[in-house]
Amino acid sequence: MSSSDPAPPADTGQGATLDTVPESATLWRWRIRQLDLPVQLIRAAVVVGLYFLWSSRALFKGVPITVFGFEPLPEVKDIFYAVPSEVWDYFTAYYHDLLFWKDLWVTVQEAFWGFALGSTAGLLVGLTLGYFRRLQKIFGPFLVFSNAVPKIALAPILILWYGIDMGSKIALATVIVFFLVQMPTTAAVGLVDPDLNILATTMGATQVQRFRKVIIPGIMPAVFGALRLAAIYSMLAVVFGEFLASKRGLGQRLLYSVNQFNMGSAFALMIVLALIALALNGLIGLVERRVLKWQSNREGGQVVSL
Amino acid sequence: MSDSAVALENVSLVFGGDDPRTERVVALDNVSLRVPAGQFVAVVGPSGCGKTTILNMLAGLIRPTLGSVSRNGSEIQGPSRDVGYMLARSALSPWRTARQNVELGLEIRGERKADRRLRATELLAQLRLEGFADAYPSMLSQGMQQRVAIARTLAIDPDLWLLDEPFGALDAQTRLTVQSEFISLWETNPGRTVIFVTHDLEEAVLLADRVVVLTARPGKIKLDAPVPLPRPRVLDELKFDPVFTEIEHRIWKELRDELI
Repeated sequence: MSSSDPAPPADTGQGATLDTVPESATLWRWRIRQLDLPVQLIRAAVVVGLYFLWSSRALFKGVPITVFGFEPLPEVKDIFYAVPSEVWDYFTAYYHDLLFWKDLWVTVQEAFWGFALGSTAGLLVGLTLGYFRRLQKIFGPFLVFSNAVPKIALAPILILWYGIDMGSKIALATVIVFFLVQMPTTAAVGLVDPDLNILATTMGATQVQRFRKVIIPGIMPAVFGALRLAAIYSMLAVVFGEFLASKRGLGQRLLYSVNQFNMGSAFALMIVLALIALALNGLIGLVERRVLKWQSNREGGQVVSL
Repeated sequence: MSDSAVALENVSLVFGGDDPRTERVVALDNVSLRVPAGQFVAVVGPSGCGKTTILNMLAGLIRPTLGSVSRNGSEIQGPSRDVGYMLARSALSPWRTARQNVELGLEIRGERKADRRLRATELLAQLRLEGFADAYPSMLSQGMQQRVAIARTLAIDPDLWLLDEPFGALDAQTRLTVQSEFISLWETNPGRTVIFVTHDLEEAVLLADRVVVLTARPGKIKLDAPVPLPRPRVLDELKFDPVFTEIEHRIWKELRDELI
């Protein structure tokens, strides 16, 4: 952010001294500048524009283009989509619907536990393999093979093993999140500045000290990048699991809505799912901001920065 | 022999040999060097002559192929907590503030938080960094980063200081300032032995009591000359002192063939 701040104009007037340079900006002025109003205005305009485009149904009328016999923008039947007013009706209806909140709670729990278990296991295994090269040499190929299995293909099997309740969705999310976290963690251990390791060694650091003071902090940027991705993929896994077979959950409700051609409900649920994923991402962002405080003066790759 | 703070006896070091496809490299060939306690020795030589290798052996990171490397009369077995090693790159942890970086060695030794803080604050002040104790390395200039690295090396109060081209990355002005700060830190801490590796002869003569010149690979000692300049030294004046220039010139004539 700070790099885009304009430099104060040079005062070339007669008798200019440092005293004539204005005091640094007050706090509220600085806050307003940080908001970067043009950016916020354009964002608002984009939202309003999309809203009207969507309301006008123009998007769904279809554009008669054919690319190799394929129509990228086909006409969509009225019963296959919903306009914002219909979606909004469902939002208000669901707000008062206890069963909706139960479904939401099920999906949130599944996504959270899948994320928590998968990333914990991924971190532990990733660190161990990164640190003990020998283990990596032995087990690396097996992990590469397991990772190559399209994990979604496991879903029907996991449902057989864990039943159609939350267990199978948590299991699927755990497997997907595990690899998303383990691979970058292992790689990051190998990329920690070798000078820092040498330095700690010359200072007589024990293995445990080197681990705590060099390796762990050194891999944090990579780990947080992986965790953010993992949170989104955890939601994806859970929704897919619910599509296949489930008793409760937003994914199940979404599939049911589509099957009933109840598009207002389906669109509303998709937006809710996105909001849950963003909330998970935001929680990770809060932790990241504390852990990676030292990076805050650089451009952070933050997904959510409103 | 046992009164030497540091002694290399007929040390040779060969790299490679594990892999039959690569050539073996003789980094050091029969080097002997004894340094009494409290002496400041500068090791000069062309790049790749094994200067850093000597430091790595003294720091206990590698062991010689032949010969012995000892400190205070006993063979060096591994890294020691009272040797301060400053690498060529500042190697600051980007996630630690300047003060936390200085505290690293003290943390590893397990010293109390209050003591660490006190020591770090004191050293940062001596290196004119008191206003930057809580700044992260990415916010500091090169010269400041290098001064933090000096403070970190000296925080554990080592009796052997190993420095590997510590000022090589600095511009001429900053370099002189940091050199001056460094030399006055050493002059106010008597009894500390310094092995200072550099490729800059002027720097070697300015700072050291004794200049050792190594040949190009394989490294051998080509010249071992004392620098009889009084202390404390005022570096920015000394640079223009005819005695200094004469010593530098004399050593230069000796090693011209190696450096070119």
